Amino acid sequence: MRSHFRSLLCVFLFLFSLGSFPVQAQTRSIISNLANPAIGFNALFKAQVAPDLDQPYGIEFEEAEISLISTVDPYWTLAANLVFAPDGVDPEEVYATSSSIPGIGLKVGKIRGSFGKHGLLHTHAFPFIQAPVIMANTIGEEGFKDAGIEAAWLTPLPWFCELTLGGYHAVGPDTDHPLDFGSSNHDNIPYLGHLKNLFDVDDNTTLELGGSFLGGYGADGLHHSAYGADLTLRNVPLRQSNQQGWILQSELLARDSWNNDGSFASHDAIGWYASLQYRWSQVWWTGIRVEEAFNSFSDVMVSKDPATGLPNLDSNGNAIPVAGHVQRLSANIAWAASEFSMIRLEYSGARETPDDESGTVWDNRIMAQMNFTIGFHPPHAY
Amino acid sequence: MNPLIRTVAVCMWCLTAIPAFADLKVATSLSDLASVAEAVGGKHVSVVSLCRGYEDPHFVPAKPSLMKAIQDADVFVSVGLELDGGWLPLVLPGSRNPKIQAGAKGFVDASEGVNVLEKPTGTVSRAEGDVHPLGNPHYYLDPLNLKIVADHLAQVFSDLDPANASDYAAGAKNFDGKIDKSMVAWKKELKPYAGARIVTFHKNFNYFLERFDLKLFSTVEPKPGIPPNPRYLNETAESMQKAGVKVVLYQPYYDADAAKQLAQKAGGAAYEVPTEVNGVPEAKDVFAKFGFIVDTLSKALGGK
Repeated sequence: MRSHFRSLLCVFLFLFSLGSFPVQAQTRSIISNLANPAIGFNALFKAQVAPDLDQPYGIEFEEAEISLISTVDPYWTLAANLVFAPDGVDPEEVYATSSSIPGIGLKVGKIRGSFGKHGLLHTHAFPFIQAPVIMANTIGEEGFKDAGIEAAWLTPLPWFCELTLGGYHAVGPDTDHPLDFGSSNHDNIPYLGHLKNLFDVDDNTTLELGGSFLGGYGADGLHHSAYGADLTLRNVPLRQSNQQGWILQSELLARDSWNNDGSFASHDAIGWYASLQYRWSQVWWTGIRVEEAFNSFSDVMVSKDPATGLPNLDSNGNAIPVAGHVQRLSANIAWAASEFSMIRLEYSGARETPDDESGTVWDNRIMAQMNFTIGFHPPHAY
Repeated sequence: MNPLIRTVAVCMWCLTAIPAFADLKVATSLSDLASVAEAVGGKHVSVVSLCRGYEDPHFVPAKPSLMKAIQDADVFVSVGLELDGGWLPLVLPGSRNPKIQAGAKGFVDASEGVNVLEKPTGTVSRAEGDVHPLGNPHYYLDPLNLKIVADHLAQVFSDLDPANASDYAAGAKNFDGKIDKSMVAWKKELKPYAGARIVTFHKNFNYFLERFDLKLFSTVEPKPGIPPNPRYLNETAESMQKAGVKVVLYQPYYDADAAKQLAQKAGGAAYEVPTEVNGVPEAKDVFAKFGFIVDTLSKALGGK
């Protein structure tokens, strides 16, 4: 009995002595966080007064975005932008890039297609609170986002001339994708071509000219296409790069459909915008934008009963949107206290004429947006 | 071949062919690093700096033409410590040049081996402004740190171009010797003002001040990256007056009005001095740059 007790005591003391080791073991963990990705977090809040919209006034949470980026190995870098919005979570971008091929930049994953200028911007980087109306009516309010692969060739020409070709996954129309690329046929690989030219006019000024094309087959059997042309004149005085500058930008976008036999089917939407952003000082920006969109949908144009003037409703009781001609003016002023926060006030007024000739409607809004970033945030493209 | 096609082909070749007279094509993020690279590499290197000396190195516009400028570079020298972190992550991959990407043999972090000042201890908070989490990155304001950079570059150049290794080693040795010789003269000129306190726009002169026994009294900006407001300028001017501090330094890329306003309120004067080579026309290389700073400070502190 005594020997059993002694044995148990020895076992207990042995186990007890083991218990003192984990402290050292924990400080020498084989799991390291030193290679963790850089993490950034951005939050957008908006307040809006819009008498022509059937929406409550007040501050709303627009979206939050978590950005992760790190090198995978000597050949790849992986980046992700995960967006949290009131209507859910969207892995907006999750892609790998490689610079291992001379002259070629490779991007694969869920990406934002290299179409135009505005379509490349994240929501918090929009120069105005609202995207141009034509964006949502052609490639998507936040650009064309889809799984795919892009190769961007920096040509050996004397100026910056980049040719990007991309192929994507078939995707049907939804709130993010106005273009119907939903054909399940094996020959439907939506494709993109983008040419970007940038010239240094002088040390402070650059001129950028671009052209974009996006095409694919829809579930309706038609070939759907989007076209874009962009022109940007940008001035950043090198001696005051953080204090002054201006950006004059214009973009023309169109969307149309073609029959299988190559004959033209329909013009679906066309529009343009031109904007001027001016930086007064390190912290103050202001901007003005004019735009026009034809055969386009908006937030306020809905089908109406000619007799009563009341909106026609669908089976779910929602007003039925109609396309029309939209002309809009936007103007804003922004205060960026630092690189990581911005508050801006914006007015937009739109005159909208539905194609069903139900009468012109107006959409006037006064908005305030607050934009905050913590942690790492990758620099925005020039 | 069709004459037209032939003519176009010849024109295209003329436009695209970049002469490779140098053994190594070197690109740098800052003009000081370019100056050191030229001194070390001599005739064997062609060097281009992406940031002009009169640009704020924190906020270089990431123009695609910068990507184009380094498309064929053999070496890229980054200042490191995230000073170029606001634009280099776009420019470097945008060059589509695998030879100079981070981790490749042609990528150099010039801050390696430098004794970094003001490394944050504990939590890094942007409540303190746009602080650099890896420490003060303006180490190139200490002439002796450039010797470390020169030796580093000589090693990298030699690894990439072994045929000229002895020339690179000799270039670095000459550079180091010239720095040592110049240091004697610069120190002598500033020795009468040892312990003097000055105001700078940003905390970018700290390495220089430490090397030459000077002290930082305050900065024109209340916190790194935050522009000054009238109240702050008044308070700082008042404290400058009480302490008898009269010299304010600013760079070509900062708000000269704020610096001059502060100096005027304090009863002193503001002086434009470069932090980088070519920041002012006289600062043709690192020696001329330090010479300009030392001369300006000597005159300012001497009340001349």
